[in-house]
Amino acid sequence: MLSHSEASEKFIADEERTNWHDETLWFVRSKRDVASKNVDDWERLRNQASDIKDYTLSNLGELLIQFESIAQVNGVEVHWAKDAAELNQIVLTIAKEQQVQTIVKSKSMLTEECHLNDFLEKNGFDVVDTDLGERIVQFRNEAPSHIVLPAIHLKKEDVGETFHQHLGTPKGNKDPQFLTEAARQHLREKFLSSKVAITGVNFAVADTGEFVVCTNEGNADMGAHLADVHIACMGIEKVIPRREDLSVFLRLLARSATGQLITTYSSHFMKPRKGQKMHIILLDNGRTRQLAQDEYRNSLKCIRCAACFNTCPVYRRSGGHSYHQPVAGPIGSILAPNFDKKANVDLPFASTLCGSCSNVCPVKINIHEQLWFWRQDLMKEGLAPVTKKMGMMGMAWVLAHPSVYQIMGKLFRTVMKFAPFIINNGLNPWFKQREMPEVPKQSFQEWVKTNRK
Amino acid sequence: MKSREEILQAIKAVSIPTHEMPTSYLPDQNQLNVYAQFLSSLKTVGAHYVEVSNEAEASDALNQLFPSINRYNQIEIVEDGLSLAGVEVLEIKGQFGVAENGAIWLDEDDFPHRVAPFICQHLVIHLKSKNVFAHMHEAYIKLEKASTGFGLFLSGPSKTADIEQSLVIGAHGARSLVIIIYN
Repeated sequence: MLSHSEASEKFIADEERTNWHDETLWFVRSKRDVASKNVDDWERLRNQASDIKDYTLSNLGELLIQFESIAQVNGVEVHWAKDAAELNQIVLTIAKEQQVQTIVKSKSMLTEECHLNDFLEKNGFDVVDTDLGERIVQFRNEAPSHIVLPAIHLKKEDVGETFHQHLGTPKGNKDPQFLTEAARQHLREKFLSSKVAITGVNFAVADTGEFVVCTNEGNADMGAHLADVHIACMGIEKVIPRREDLSVFLRLLARSATGQLITTYSSHFMKPRKGQKMHIILLDNGRTRQLAQDEYRNSLKCIRCAACFNTCPVYRRSGGHSYHQPVAGPIGSILAPNFDKKANVDLPFASTLCGSCSNVCPVKINIHEQLWFWRQDLMKEGLAPVTKKMGMMGMAWVLAHPSVYQIMGKLFRTVMKFAPFIINNGLNPWFKQREMPEVPKQSFQEWVKTNRK
Repeated sequence: MKSREEILQAIKAVSIPTHEMPTSYLPDQNQLNVYAQFLSSLKTVGAHYVEVSNEAEASDALNQLFPSINRYNQIEIVEDGLSLAGVEVLEIKGQFGVAENGAIWLDEDDFPHRVAPFICQHLVIHLKSKNVFAHMHEAYIKLEKASTGFGLFLSGPSKTADIEQSLVIGAHGARSLVIIIYN
C-alpha cells in the first residue's frame, strides 16, 4: 500500500486536475462560510453541539441503554456488535432469512469501515449503493474519496464513460442532468424490487428511541420504505440525549457540509412500518478504545459533515484516495491510528497543522492538536520510518551542538553558492515541487558580530 | 448478548470527567419577518410556492401547474408502497414550516404510505401560513410530545450534485415541490 505522500505524488502529477480538485472543494468551503455567517448565533450553536457531545460521551452507557429500551418498546430490534466482523455477520443473518438476492444500501461510512459490501458480495448478495456518488464509485470498483461527496475526484467525462459501460448511456454524453436521470431510472428499478434496505444513521435519540437519516437525494427513504426489512447501522457515538438536541445538529450539519440550509430529507424513524421489520445495529469497533484516551476522546464527537476535508490544504491537493482509509481528510487522520497504528502512521503527518479544520468543525473537535498528539505517540512507539528517525536524530544532534550548527550553516551556504546541484536534485525530497530559498550572505550570528561590536 | 455486556463494560471502565447536560438552547431573538424569511428560504431550496386564500384558488393554481395530470390526494392507508410507483402528483398536508431553512414537517398520518412523498414524481404540500416557525428550536418544541412512527423535515425537491458539483433537481425523490400556502 502506498503511503499518503507516495499516493499524493501520483495524484498531483496531473496539475490541471489537481487545481480543479482544489478549487472545487474550496468552492464548497466558501458556500459553508456564507451559510454559517448567515446564522447570527453560529458560535453559540457550535458550543452547544460540543457540550451536548461532551455530555453524551460522559454518559454513553446510560444513553445507549435508554435508547435501546425505548427503541425496543417502539418495535425495533436492537443488536450490538463489538467489531466489524460481528456487524457483518448480523447483517448477513438477517439478509439470509429474507431469501433475496439484492440489497439496497444508502450512504453509510460505517459500513465502509466494516467492508460490509465485500462481505455480502462474497456471500452471494448483490449490494447496490443508491447514493448517486456512491453508485458511481461502486461501478468503478473504487472507494468513496470524500464522506459527503463520494465521487468528487471524478470529472463528468469520467462519469459519462462509467455510465456508458454500466448503464449503456450514449458514449461521450457527459451532461450531469442526463446522467443523473439515467441513474434515477436504473436505481428506481432496484428500489422497487429490493426487500432488504441498509441505511446509516446520522443521529439516534435516547429519549425517543428514534433515529434520523439525512439525505438530499431521498435514496435512504426510497430503500427503507419499500423494503420488508430495514437495517440501520450506527456507531455507538451517534446517540444524543434528547429530541430537542436535533435542532442544534440539524442547523449545523448541512450548513457545514455543503452550505445548504438543511438537507432535503431529515427523516425520523421511530417505529417500523406495519408489516415491516426494523433493526438497529450498534457498533463499537474501537470506539470504546478511543473513548478511553483523553487526548483523542473528542474525535468521537464527529457528525461526519466533512467541513474539515473541504478546508484542508492537504486534502484538497492530495485527494481522498491518498488517505487509504474509508474516512479520509483531517478527521480520518485522527480516527485511523486508533484502528491500526502501524498501517496509518503516515496519516497524522498528512497535515500542515494550520488548524483550519478545527476552526470549521461544527462540534469543535481540536483536530489539528490531535494530529500533533498522534505524531508524538506514534514516534514514541518507534513507528517512524528509518529515514525520518535518522534525520531527526541527526538534526537534534546538530541543534544541540552550537559549533557544529555554525559550521554546518556555513558549509550549506557555501555549497548553495558554488554547487547548488548538490542540494537541488531529485534525491532531496525537499526539492520536489519546491524552489529552494535564496541563501543569505551571512548568518544572523555573523551579522551580529560585524554590526554590534 | 455477550457483545452488549462487553461494550457497556468497556464504557463503564472508562473514567471521564462529568459533564452536565446542557440546558435547552435559547436562540438569539429573531427580529426578521418570519413569514418573509420562510418564502425566501423556499426559493433558496428550489421549492415553488403559491399563496392562496381558499381551496378553490388552490385548485385553480394546481390545474395550471399540472394541466391534465391526475393528482393523488387520498390519505387512506395503502398497504403496498409499490402501488404508488405510478403516482405523478401527490398532494399532502404539511404540519408546519420552518423559516430559517424552508423545511416542512410531514407526519406519516398525513399520507397513504411512508414512501409516498418520495416515490411520486411531483409533490404538492398544503400548508397554513400561520403554521410557520422561525427556526428549528421552535419546531422541536412543537414536536416535543408528538409521537409518530415516521416523520420528516422536507426542504425542497430531491437533488444531487454528485457529478462535478453540478446541481441536478430530481435525484430519487420528487422532481419538483410545490407549496400551497393558505393565508
